[in-house]
Amino acid sequence: MKFVDDSQNLRGRLRLIQALILVLLAVLSVRLYVLQIINGQHYAGIAENQRIRLLPIPAPRGVIFDRNGRVLVDSRPIYSIILSREDTKGIDRYTLVKPLSQGLNLDPGLLRERFDLVNKQPAFESILIKEDATQAEMAWVDAHQLEFPALRVEQTPQRRYPAKGVLAHVLGYVQEVSPEQLDEPRFKDKHYKPGDIIGQNGLESTYDDYLRGRDGYRKVIVDSRGHIQKEIDVVPPTPGQDLVTTIDLDLQQAAEDQLQKSATKRGVIVAMDPNNGEILALASYPTFDPNLFSQRITTKAGRAEYTALLNDPQKPLLDRAIQSRYMPGSTWKIPMSVAGLQQGAITIDHSNLLCGGGIQVGNKFTRCMGNHGTPDLRTAITKSCDGYFYRLGLKMTINGIMAMVDEFDLNRRSGIDLPHETLNQTPSPDFKAQMNPRDPEWRDIDTVYSSFGQVYDVITPITLLRTVAGIGVGGKLYIPHLLKELKPSGKEGDADYRSSRAFQSMDPLRPNPKIVPIPTDQHKVVVDGMWGVVNNGGTGASIKMAGFDIAGKTGTAQVVGLGKDVGANKDHSWFVSYAPAYNPEISVLALIENSGFGSLHAAPAVRAIYDVYYQKTRPQQEAPKNNIALRIR
Amino acid sequence: MVAIIKKRSLRDFDWLIAALAILIVCFGAWEIRNAVPTETHWQKQLVGLGIALVAMLAIAFTDYRRLVEIAPILYVLGLVLLVIVLVPGIGLKVNGQRCWIKLPGVGQFQPSEFVKIPVVLMLAKYFGKHRSRLLSWKEFTIGCVILGLPIALILLEPDLGQALTYLPLLAVVLFLSSVRMWIVGAVLAAFIVGAPLAYTVGVKTGVLHGYKLERINVILDPENADKRGFGYHTWQSMVTVGEGGLLGARSSEYSQSSLKFLPEPHTDFIFAVTAETTGFVGCLLLLASYALLLTRLIANARRSRDRTGMLVIMAIVGGLIFQIFINVGMAVGMLPVIGVPLPLMSAGLSSVLATFIAIGFAISVQLRRFVN
Repeated sequence: MKFVDDSQNLRGRLRLIQALILVLLAVLSVRLYVLQIINGQHYAGIAENQRIRLLPIPAPRGVIFDRNGRVLVDSRPIYSIILSREDTKGIDRYTLVKPLSQGLNLDPGLLRERFDLVNKQPAFESILIKEDATQAEMAWVDAHQLEFPALRVEQTPQRRYPAKGVLAHVLGYVQEVSPEQLDEPRFKDKHYKPGDIIGQNGLESTYDDYLRGRDGYRKVIVDSRGHIQKEIDVVPPTPGQDLVTTIDLDLQQAAEDQLQKSATKRGVIVAMDPNNGEILALASYPTFDPNLFSQRITTKAGRAEYTALLNDPQKPLLDRAIQSRYMPGSTWKIPMSVAGLQQGAITIDHSNLLCGGGIQVGNKFTRCMGNHGTPDLRTAITKSCDGYFYRLGLKMTINGIMAMVDEFDLNRRSGIDLPHETLNQTPSPDFKAQMNPRDPEWRDIDTVYSSFGQVYDVITPITLLRTVAGIGVGGKLYIPHLLKELKPSGKEGDADYRSSRAFQSMDPLRPNPKIVPIPTDQHKVVVDGMWGVVNNGGTGASIKMAGFDIAGKTGTAQVVGLGKDVGANKDHSWFVSYAPAYNPEISVLALIENSGFGSLHAAPAVRAIYDVYYQKTRPQQEAPKNNIALRIR
Repeated sequence: MVAIIKKRSLRDFDWLIAALAILIVCFGAWEIRNAVPTETHWQKQLVGLGIALVAMLAIAFTDYRRLVEIAPILYVLGLVLLVIVLVPGIGLKVNGQRCWIKLPGVGQFQPSEFVKIPVVLMLAKYFGKHRSRLLSWKEFTIGCVILGLPIALILLEPDLGQALTYLPLLAVVLFLSSVRMWIVGAVLAAFIVGAPLAYTVGVKTGVLHGYKLERINVILDPENADKRGFGYHTWQSMVTVGEGGLLGARSSEYSQSSLKFLPEPHTDFIFAVTAETTGFVGCLLLLASYALLLTRLIANARRSRDRTGMLVIMAIVGGLIFQIFINVGMAVGMLPVIGVPLPLMSAGLSSVLATFIAIGFAISVQLRRFVN
């Protein structure tokens, strides 16, 4: 100190300041040691995480073809407007609702709903704002980059289904996985994430695992606003497997046309190859447009369309072939006939039973539509004699009918490769006790009802077709299916290679086909009867085709009691068949709801399918005409 | 005569202090370039260094006593500048703070950085007289008034961070002017007890709320704070510092600052950038440089030939250590975010120039230690 200072210990105070400075710097150093040396790895990880982002590249979904290689479903690229979640952190997303809905022609309510969903799902990376954006909307995003830097345009695939709802029930549709589904265990196991597009119905759902590929991703470095600075890595997506269905588009189109032209425009037509169970056509009417789910469901108009579909009393979303149950009416007589012979209730030589114009059981008379004397089995089938089958049923007893139901798998699902198949209701004392608790005892009249396809027999068209087609080929009940082949994808030997795959029953223990032992001679009697239905003046004589013998059976299923069957309550019209009768190649079933007699409505619809089939398979021959003379057997 | 003075001056000139200051600014310019490579801040900083060196030499070779003589005039001039900056049209408003004066052709400068110098001189002039008694209340009050006027004007801008940096100037001067030790002890004790108490009471009564509370909470528990909202700055700065590790992060191309995760990387958070690029070793070297610089300044203060010179240097030392601690403390997540530049490192002409002028005073004092 150069100057004299009398104040309080100046030297000491200076030293104190010096010490304080060193202490403060030491404190900072210790803190730095903790941050950089002790926790350095931790913070390096955080820094790495916030600058690296994985952007998914959606895998192209497999294309669906018909059996002849015609495209049924494919995907087209569309432009979607995406809101990056990272960029909207810290700001109230709902303030964006108004400007975005105005600029992009969105419904503010739907946008708000999306934001709600995102808030519940922390895994969301980005929020889909608008699908299939127009040029003008993309230009709007571009022009407002400064105002809304979180918006970006991305190319995504969108599923495209045939127009007019053709094959809608078979193909199903894809839709974004719902929050409820994400909580279901079967979806959790597949590691779906919010925003994933998955098959929600039909083949799209059954074979979703194969149709969907594995998404690839781009590993990028982003800045704090989420803008991509550099791409570090790209893992290309693995495309999904293409799927070839058993459907023949020509037959399908014919089936759809027939239902479209039918009296009530409600019904089912199914065509199947009885020799392997391949479904050639499956149409259910009324139908719906699956494009609604893959394209328009996120718009206000799309939501309204969906609500209308759900509330439509005609139930267009229902696949009537596998989800609706009907009383089979006289078509039930075919398995009854086979079982009657098998069980010995009748024999080939002594198959005659009284018609009697009906039957008196107790104080109730159940009538036949005509008086057929004492017909043999062939005639009884051909003429559809109810009186004959009342008595056959009584001879077989309810136990015999239950054995028949079991033998022909009528108490099981057909096993078709479509989701949500309904189980049949079949006659049994238990079923009656359940259905009618006030009169639970099984009576003879119940056996009578059960024997001609009313009251206790309530079955899906697909199971009836499987039974009748199986009888047609001599007792081989194949599982109906729509998958012909899943095409292999990728290169053989690669880790992501997927091999070709044919249809396999979902229940591996279930025999395919199920063999029902029908002696050849018994089989011939039944087929003769069915041949006669069309070719020998039977109930289906109007659809006779020269050179292509149809064996079939009409059916009329009561909807309400006799006498009231008019207007909307008319009976359902059935026709179930295969052809050629003694060497079946194709089996066709038609059901027209509330249209009346089977011979009048369902049979001509079936004939139209055979016409198309005939032209396709026998092109060199002239189409058969109705007036050509009967072939002599 | 002139030649003699010059010769002696050159011999006595404190080369170490000047060299350290220049080195730190150059290092700072390099870090500024790391922080915002696409902009010209680092070049401006070097230009600023050139100007600052000229100013420092001019001050160093001027007798500080003559400048202390005219301290009241400089002080009033300073207050005028602080008033002018508040006038809309002259004062430039940035981020809601009107603290810049735009000079056509030259650029812009921040009066609050420069006014510290006349305040220091004014305090030194007033408290520099020979002392034989303890500090009186009258002296204390006058000291508070000298400091209070500029602080009040700066708070009108409003620039809380800058205003805070004025406090240590008076604190050091009072401490070295025989303020009773028990008062110092009592103030310290009151702070240590009072801060947590004020926090608790503030939270309980709801006086402390909103972003102010969040900014404190993020210091107390950064991992669980609102990392995307008010805790963002602190959290990102901690991540950036931590990422540096021992020797610095490898990928400079995609650093926290160039990806814009770290806000204000070239000014308030230049220390975090330094920590990211040079790691623990670089940080320690920088802190050691500061320690050396400050120690050297204190040594010069000790050798000063009068109280006035000693007070000038020590007030400057107080101001520097305060800013360093607040700024680095903020970068390492120990202190809430306050906009205080890191002396000699943060980009900004005003800050560099003012710091070099202050160092110029310190050298001037040191040069004249033998002169009578």
